[in-house]
Formats: sequence, structure tokens, C-alpha cells
Amino acid sequence: MGHYYNIDDIIMEEEPILVSFQVGANGVGLLDPSSETNSVEKGAKVDLPFWLAHELFLRQAASVNVPSCYSQKTRKEIQADAACVDLRSRSPYFYELGCKVAPLVGDKTIGSFLRHAFASRYKEALSKAHGAALAKPPKYLTYLTKEESSLFEAARTSMEAFKKWQAGGSRLERASILGRKRKPGIGTHPSSP
Amino acid sequence: MTPLKVTLGGMYGRKSCQLLRELASAEPGQIPTFNNDLFDQVIKECTEHQFQLQSLMRKIQDEGLDIQTTRNEDHFGAVVHHLSLIRNKRCLMAYMYNRAEIIQGLRWKLGPVLPQEIQEKLHYLEEEYFKNHSAAIESYMAELDLDLTVDMVPPKDPYIQVKVLDDIGEVLLGDQSATLVRHSVHSLRRTDAEPFISQMDSTEKTAAHGGGYSSEMSVIFYGFTRRRIAESVGS
Repeated sequence: MGHYYNIDDIIMEEEPILVSFQVGANGVGLLDPSSETNSVEKGAKVDLPFWLAHELFLRQAASVNVPSCYSQKTRKEIQADAACVDLRSRSPYFYELGCKVAPLVGDKTIGSFLRHAFASRYKEALSKAHGAALAKPPKYLTYLTKEESSLFEAARTSMEAFKKWQAGGSRLERASILGRKRKPGIGTHPSSP
Repeated sequence: MTPLKVTLGGMYGRKSCQLLRELASAEPGQIPTFNNDLFDQVIKECTEHQFQLQSLMRKIQDEGLDIQTTRNEDHFGAVVHHLSLIRNKRCLMAYMYNRAEIIQGLRWKLGPVLPQEIQEKLHYLEEEYFKNHSAAIESYMAELDLDLTVDMVPPKDPYIQVKVLDDIGEVLLGDQSATLVRHSVHSLRRTDAEPFISQMDSTEKTAAHGGGYSSEMSVIFYGFTRRRIAESVGS
């Protein structure tokens, strides 16, 4: 488990997982939209957020199914051309969720699949981030998971910082919290004689 | 028992997660407005979970079963409510914690008085927190007799050329006072000029600062780059 206060960790645990209830549960009919009573029947299949699915699994109250984003179809696409697969639409926390789900479903192949996917996409992301430093964000960015976009962003900003350092830019700046707007004309002050 | 679908709209924990998504989607370094409404809704959801939890536990006891060992349907219902409570608690705590982190950072970036536009985004308790945190830093710096908020990299020259962007009026800089008029150029001690530079453009700050500064406080380096400063100082 990540840091207790980690926002990404918390949001990641909100990802839905299909579970089958091994027991019945009263007073929680909301979990099962098809239930007409206020309870969940034994054997009901419902989508639960990961945090709930995980805890119920530990109590042997539910069994967890492999989420569809780790299906054979995705694996084949990754094998064909890893960089062009839209992983974000499958899950913005594709890797993190995979790491957490793998021990619950007992599928030993998920780990190596994730590693392969990440490694082959990482190279592409890094070279694109360095190359397209200032161009407008390409469509490619919308395919990246949360983790990959922060890597991309890190690579891009460090490249920018490097270029700025080379050019000898100003180090003192106004605090970013005050917004990005700049007074027009700041950059156009006549340079010193 | 009233059906939960009515009292708890949406999946358990959905709202508290929404709260965090809001915080996460803010631009880096920015703080979104404290969402009082959603925060209260989550608290209400927690109360509802607690109510449901207690009624299920009471039901188990009323049936004469041992609350410790019973694993019937009521037990698992209670577990779900219990877990939802814990989840909501974690989300609320993380919301406050991460905001507090940003607020602490504001003291270092903006100084002891927050601009109006940022103050409006804080809960009044957060404003209180900021004041107390600021006071703690100040008393520590007073004890050390050292200003820790200045630039970390020692300047090559203790004085820098600044150009005033807007009328600021008379200010006390170190042991002397200077009148900062728009478009005037001054050679100031770097430590004196820094706070003005980090507050650049913020016209609303004046009100927050009260007396001392007459209208706006915006100063910027005359030479924009370090190299240019060296040139203008040299020439």
C-alpha cells in the first residue's frame, strides 16, 4: 500500500473491478444495481471499486476477476506495437492497478506482461518528450497512462530547464501560484546597452 | 430499513474520491477552492454509514448471536459499511493533508500575507493554519537571526538593478527608506528586492498588506537575465 495520504494511490483504488460475491450481504443493496431488495445475494457479480473488492477478497467474501484491460486482446495489441496502444482509455492506472490485482487473481503472467509493456513504451515516450519539447501536445499523449504522462512531463521539463540553463535565463521568478499571466511587454524591455 | 439507494446516492466512496480528483486536476502549484459543499456531503455519507453499521450490529445481537464470531449476511453488510467509513476517512484526511502541504509552501513562496485571490480559496481553518505556520517559521527565524526565505544561491553582487513596474510608494528597505515610483530604476539590496519580485503583478496584494505600500507592488529585474544584470551593473 502506498502512502496513506497519496492522492494517486487513492484515486487508483477507485478503479472498478468485477467481483463475485461468495457470501450474501444485507443492507448494501446499492452495490448491486440489479438487486431488488436492499441486499446482495451470494454469487452476485458486481463492479466494485478496487478498495472494496480488495478488502472483501481478504475476508474471503468475494472472488476477483481479471479486469478486462489485461485481456488477451490488449496483450496482442501490445505485442504488435506497444507505443500505439491507448492504455489510458483502458485504465489511467494501468500498471499500478495491474500490480495490485495480480496477487488477487493468481495470474502469474500479468507481471511480466506489464513489465514488457512499460519497457517498450518507455523508450518511445522518452525520445518523443525530448524531441517535441515545444510543439503542441501530439495525439500520442492521450494514450499514456498517468504514470507515463508524468514521466513524459518530467523528461520534457528537464529538457526545457537544460535549454534555459544553456541560454542563461533568469532564475528568479514570480511564484507560480499567482497564475501564469504575464504583464504584456515584460519580455520586450530594451536590453541594456 | 430504508433502502440505501435513496439515502446514499451513487457508489460508496464516490463523492470522497471526487473531492480528491478535484485536488489532483488542479494545475501544479495551484490550490483549488475548498469544496465545502462536497466535503459536507461526504461527512453526511459517513454518518449514514455509521447508522447502517450500528443497526446491522444491533440486529446480530438481537438475534442472540455472538458479534465476534458471526459471519452471516448481516455481518458482511456491516463490513461493507465499515470499510466505506474507513475509505471516506482516508479521502477526507488526504484532502486536508495535501492542501495543508500546499498551504505551508505558500509561506515560503509568497511571504506572511496571502493575496486576496488565494485567501478566498481557503477554508477559514486553513487561513488560521497558515497564520500559525507562518508565526512558527518567523519565531524560528528570529531565534536564528537569519532570513531563511531568501534565494538559496548566494548572489555574486549583493546589489541588483531593478525597474519598478508600478507605483509602490515609500518602503522601508533595511535601514533606509526608498520611494519606488513607476519606471524608476534602483540599485537595491538583493534580499530587499526579492519579495517584490516574487509578488510581481499582484495588484490585490496592497489591500492585504494595509499601510506601508501605497498602491501596487510590482518590481522586476531591469535586466531580465543574469548576464544582462552584470552588463548593466558594469557599464
